[in-house]
Amino acid sequence: MAPDVIKIGKDWFSARGWKAFPFQLEAWQAFLDGRHGLVNAPTGSGKTYSLLMPALLEFIRDNPDYKTKKNNGLQIIWITPIRALSKEIELSGNRVIEGLGLPWKVGVRSGDTSLKERARQKEKPPELLITTPESLHLLMAQKEYPDFFKSLRAVVADEWHELMGSKRGVQVELALSRLKTISPHLKVWGISATIGNMDQALEALLGNYYHEKDYAVVRSDIEKKVEVVSVLPDTLDTLPWAGHLGIQLLQKVIDIVKGSSTTLIFTNTRSFAEIWYHRMLDAAPELSGLIAMHHGSISQELRNWVEEQLHEGKLKAVVCTSSLDLGVDFRPVETVIQVGGPKGVARFLQRAGRSGHQPGAVSRIYFVPTHSLELMEAAAIREAITQKIVEDRLPYIRSFDVLIQYLTTLSVSDGFYPDQIFAEIKTTFCYNSVSEDEWNWLLNFITTGGDSLQAYDEYRKVGIHEGLYKIENRTLAMRHRLSIGTIVGDSSLFVRFVSGKYLGTVEEYFISRLNPGDVFWFAGRNLELVRIKEMEAQVRKSSKKSGAVPSWQGGRMPLSSQMSEMIRLKLDEVVRGVEKDDELVFLRPLFALQQERSHLPSKSEFLIEYFKSTEGYHVLMYPFEGRFVHEGMGALVAYRIAQIQPITFSIAMNDYGFELLSDQPIPIDEAIETNVLGVENLLKDIQASINSTEMARRKFRDIAAISGLVFKGYPGKPIKDRYLQSSSQLFFNVFHDYEAHNLLLQQAYEEVMDFQLEEARLRRALERIAQQKIIITHPDKPTPFAFPIMVDRTREKLTSEKLEDRVKRMALQFDSLD
Amino acid sequence: METEILGERLELWPQKAVSWPEREILLLADLHVGKINHFRRSGIPLPVKANDRNVEVLLELVEATKPKRIICLGDLFHSHYNPEWEVFGEVVKHFRHISFELVLGNHDIMSDIQYSRKGIQLHDELRIGPFIFTHHPLEEIEEGAYNLAGHIHPGVNLRGKGRQSVTLPCFYFGAQSGLLPAFGMFTGMARIYPRKNDKVFIILENKIMEVSTTS
Repeated sequence: MAPDVIKIGKDWFSARGWKAFPFQLEAWQAFLDGRHGLVNAPTGSGKTYSLLMPALLEFIRDNPDYKTKKNNGLQIIWITPIRALSKEIELSGNRVIEGLGLPWKVGVRSGDTSLKERARQKEKPPELLITTPESLHLLMAQKEYPDFFKSLRAVVADEWHELMGSKRGVQVELALSRLKTISPHLKVWGISATIGNMDQALEALLGNYYHEKDYAVVRSDIEKKVEVVSVLPDTLDTLPWAGHLGIQLLQKVIDIVKGSSTTLIFTNTRSFAEIWYHRMLDAAPELSGLIAMHHGSISQELRNWVEEQLHEGKLKAVVCTSSLDLGVDFRPVETVIQVGGPKGVARFLQRAGRSGHQPGAVSRIYFVPTHSLELMEAAAIREAITQKIVEDRLPYIRSFDVLIQYLTTLSVSDGFYPDQIFAEIKTTFCYNSVSEDEWNWLLNFITTGGDSLQAYDEYRKVGIHEGLYKIENRTLAMRHRLSIGTIVGDSSLFVRFVSGKYLGTVEEYFISRLNPGDVFWFAGRNLELVRIKEMEAQVRKSSKKSGAVPSWQGGRMPLSSQMSEMIRLKLDEVVRGVEKDDELVFLRPLFALQQERSHLPSKSEFLIEYFKSTEGYHVLMYPFEGRFVHEGMGALVAYRIAQIQPITFSIAMNDYGFELLSDQPIPIDEAIETNVLGVENLLKDIQASINSTEMARRKFRDIAAISGLVFKGYPGKPIKDRYLQSSSQLFFNVFHDYEAHNLLLQQAYEEVMDFQLEEARLRRALERIAQQKIIITHPDKPTPFAFPIMVDRTREKLTSEKLEDRVKRMALQFDSLD
Repeated sequence: METEILGERLELWPQKAVSWPEREILLLADLHVGKINHFRRSGIPLPVKANDRNVEVLLELVEATKPKRIICLGDLFHSHYNPEWEVFGEVVKHFRHISFELVLGNHDIMSDIQYSRKGIQLHDELRIGPFIFTHHPLEEIEEGAYNLAGHIHPGVNLRGKGRQSVTLPCFYFGAQSGLLPAFGMFTGMARIYPRKNDKVFIILENKIMEVSTTS
């Protein structure tokens, strides 16, 4: 009989004055029983020890001489989504390892790890390695990597809900498929916050183990009480109908900050964080030195500094983005403010949970609306919290870009045998459905570049030697290693002082509009652009008033379907006159105006507005289904109307509805008559509308970067091969014209189908609309519902006209000097 | 489509070329032949077939305009030698009666031998009649002369009501200098900002349209 190691764990806890939570003990037992599984627990609940402890206890159980056994090889890999978290895990790890008297080493492997440290880790692997999905793949790009992993006993994927919703989750799945072969005693565990599709999260993590092995799902019953308080202006007129900034409420926010010890102010995008920080300092200069900013494009060094100051309680407030959503708990934080619509229940709860640390304390979160209708979201989220509704996170499937990256990784290190690796990837959730034909296409793509080899062709990448697929060329290998970190494809430039100090990154698109001498606001500083050199924007501090604030793509989260449902519910309360939430009561005059100019739809009605303005003809529809669905539905309806007559649309959308704008009259009555909102031929029409829009093209940007088509360099290491630079758009065109069967191209379309035009969700929405009474109004002026959509500048385009006919009605854009 | 510059009649072709019938000259710019191969050689899998279009379109143009001279305004071949040069060389050899000439551009970095092997004449700058042919647009142009250049891969933006907007490749003719669109596939486009009174011809799929009417 093995010693009762659980007692060892409990004793260590009591020696520190702690008591293990029931869910922790449950996880310890399940782990020690040799099962795989998932711990479902929120941040700051002791989730780290729920899995770290049993992994150590297992070693103690299996090695009676554990107190003197050194250099045991790699035992545990702890995967975190963000580097900032690794510090916290390292601390917890060292604390318990020391406490239990294990002579173990803890190592961190991320993009920040020094070359010297990497070499040391290779020589003498730490027993506990904390790493990110990218760095884990980099380890597999090392020669003789199986030796490094062979003693591995457990992999823990922390914040799995976060990883799973991105392609980095796919990287984890692939790494696990390899490690399961290399280390047969491997246990796979994850830690996840609550999401709607918990079971799918488990399946994605475990892959074939989900069907073949024993697993456990351990839920913590720790629940935090959350109170949502909207920050309302004194009068409704103060709030604009459209906008994203919420700066009208600046003074009220400053008052909240001053009345609290430490406050986190969350904004939805990095540029708003910059602007809010800037404006707060302008309005309350006395806060200078007491407030800071934190977002994903600021250098790690600056972020670390902000985090340390937060820990020490030296800051009054930090303006931040999702960069502070995860992980590390900042004890001094007393108050949380959310600026702008939270868009999702899970995210909102996570942010709210940043305050109220005492057991049983209520986490209060202040909501600052940026435009009037957004107040509905506060009411909706309160409802969702009451009803305990949370969103799903969709795992990616069939991501050929990540698979190509992975196969190249294996070719760079020891090479691979296709049969073995095919069998392995088939065990993952992501690639379960990959066919033999598709697999052969992929092999062909990495060895011959997709074409059959021609006599004079010099395509070189992966070579085949006696069945082993391997890359011998060192330049190619180096370029691949550098590109593994590229999981997001935006082309960004590094911002550096002329003296060399690194500040962060901005998108090329933003910098390209500036001239040397122009001043912009970044990382909380006024910076003058001195020059652009290679992939670097060199800057110096400036005292001039700044003009531009950089914008970063991808800041906009769509409203989740669960939130959308709550919004529809709340709107119906207003129509029935039974609304109780402060926000809805406050919004009454606005709803009255909507009713006066057009109509306020109940849940049995579907509102369409049609009117003419100086811009052209507008059709607005309000399904209240969230931005992504509206993008798809907008394209679908535009496509169907465009079949009635040749016409060109510009399509805009927000979370409440979408707009079709044309320079010609839109045959809306005929459109309704021919059932443009119907479900017949849905799939066919969806596919046609994808083909006629830019959606797939946009998805292809990331795909091209991940699969290594577009190489953009890496922080501090700009590319030398400028002649190899090309935009993903050109690749898209060439593949489209000459290689339509290219799986990467098909992936772009599939991603649009899965995430934007999800057929099932669109169908449900259209079926719901089919039950509703359609009401078409012809307002004289834009309505409160319409206005925020009309001013949106991000637009999709769809046309059934000949280019020539369209161009005839357009005018050339001249130099602005004229 | 035709246009007149300093009394010389030029024909504009939607295949992105200019012909000067009186002198029996065909002008092209920025073919970037072999660019695809460079990518492939570095392990970036572009379809080789995409190479063929350059040659096909060139044959079409030769057939249609029957030139005595073909002048390329730079960036004929993309950087260092690769076997695609031999394919292009076959085309040059096939038309022995046509003089192939190249005004050197920044990408034309192969050794001179490669060009002379194929019988291609090289120029740093070429003057014929009122025209000065260069790769990079000239900054200063003498009175009475007109510079035609490549390098830029010009495109212009057009806008209409209902927030419509397109950017299309174009021929551009200013007061003393003009730009040819890039002939090659896989070359991209850079937006230019014309001034009033400049002449701009956009390239629609198989058609050219003048959009420069003083508005």
